[in-house]
Amino acid sequence: MSMLSNMITIIEDNWLLLLIGQYPNGPLGGIASTLILSVLGIVLAFPLSVLIALARLSQWKVLNWPATALVYIVRGVPLLMLILWVYFLVPLLIGDSVPGFVTMLCTLVIYEGAFLSEIVRGGIIALPSGQMDAARALGHSHVGAMRYVILPQALYNMMPSILSQFVSTIKETTLGYVINVPELTFAASQLNNRLLTKPFEIFAILAIVYFIVCWSLSELANQLEQRIARQRLGDDQSGTGMLPPDAPKLQGAT
Amino acid sequence: MIRFSHVNKFYGSYQALVDVNATVNKGEVVVVCGPSGSGKSTLIRTVNRLEPIQSGEVLFDGQNVHAGLKSAELNRLRARIGFVFQNFNLFPHLSVLENIMLSPVRVNAVKRGDASQTAMRLLDRVGLAHKAKAYPAQLSGGQQQRVAIARALAMEPPVMLFDEPTSSLDPEMVGEVLAVIRSLAADGMTMMCVTHEMNFARDVADCVWFMDAGKILEIGAPADFFSNPQHPRAQRFLSDLHVR
Repeated sequence: MSMLSNMITIIEDNWLLLLIGQYPNGPLGGIASTLILSVLGIVLAFPLSVLIALARLSQWKVLNWPATALVYIVRGVPLLMLILWVYFLVPLLIGDSVPGFVTMLCTLVIYEGAFLSEIVRGGIIALPSGQMDAARALGHSHVGAMRYVILPQALYNMMPSILSQFVSTIKETTLGYVINVPELTFAASQLNNRLLTKPFEIFAILAIVYFIVCWSLSELANQLEQRIARQRLGDDQSGTGMLPPDAPKLQGAT
Repeated sequence: MIRFSHVNKFYGSYQALVDVNATVNKGEVVVVCGPSGSGKSTLIRTVNRLEPIQSGEVLFDGQNVHAGLKSAELNRLRARIGFVFQNFNLFPHLSVLENIMLSPVRVNAVKRGDASQTAMRLLDRVGLAHKAKAYPAQLSGGQQQRVAIARALAMEPPVMLFDEPTSSLDPEMVGEVLAVIRSLAADGMTMMCVTHEMNFARDVADCVWFMDAGKILEIGAPADFFSNPQHPRAQRFLSDLHVR
């Protein structure tokens, strides 16, 4: 019981540090930084992943081979290893030191780009081949067929998987700790160094915060998945068939 | 208009088309029939190169479809060949109207307003003007296939190809789709149609091709073919159909 009251006291005294780190007296940190890092990571990784997926599906070896190699290498290496590579390599290439936040963002974009590309590729392959046949038979080029027929459907169907990958990204930002990226884990660790005697309470708070954020997003992904599954059966409650009129960015594809 | 000469196609070591030679003339309605797996669908898919061939030639309007075409030329050629699939293959993320407008706007650079007018006129023709805003999943199979026909017609093709257009429909919906195809035939559209609907073939076809094991075994006018088939395989095929 005393542990719980300790935790409440810690949160009352330090909620701002956990929320935004030392900002405005230092860099933005805490959960705000974690979320910004994750959102930027997935948003920037997404277009990259579509390009990688299209390259991997291409018949041209010039595109196919490097994209496949990139995906295999990234999937076969621990994220921590990739972080350290970017950490030591990017300053050498640029000739200037790079903030930890940027290093971590670059790493996440490469890493998530590779993983998301497999999701995108799966989404494209999962569509019936008749869709591509129909688009080509109507005279669309390969690129046109991808843009107007295949990708809008594939990306819509993949939304739950992309959201799941976003949850993974949030958890992966914790590894930024090793290169001093100011984010939530870093803030908790700073707090632990200051209070010294309450590690169990502090890291319990940390775990609970991560759990709440990730669990609610996973739950959202599940609901999205069920909704899309219902729509595929053509009996969604909105009664508009495969795609509700309010579905984002899919209208006006013509 | 379409000429097959010495067409051979292999899937690995299996030969799907064996030395096919035949011609579809302008304004003619050709019905291709034969047992399952005889190569009918494969043959019709070679006309717009959805299936590649290993040797021979397919000529469309004098143009060799399978050789010497740049990809842009192939796309232009495909845009001039209407193709209707067994499984409709409507685009499920687009409304009926958008399904029909997509290719005129994106491939033929037709203005949206004009494309929309044409689409509505075509929907009216197939009796589905009231479904313009619906999505494919909300339509019955017969309605989807009629939209697919309107979508193909929107490109104003001089020729229409039908690959078993009624085979995945419930029996009570076959009639509405065949009625649309009949009206196209009555307007003088050049057509090639793979089908198992023998009454339809008898009424509409100018010429019937009978295929088995990748070969065209018999070509004839429907009156001759149905009453007096020459090839023993065709005789057996027709008698099997009549028994049922």
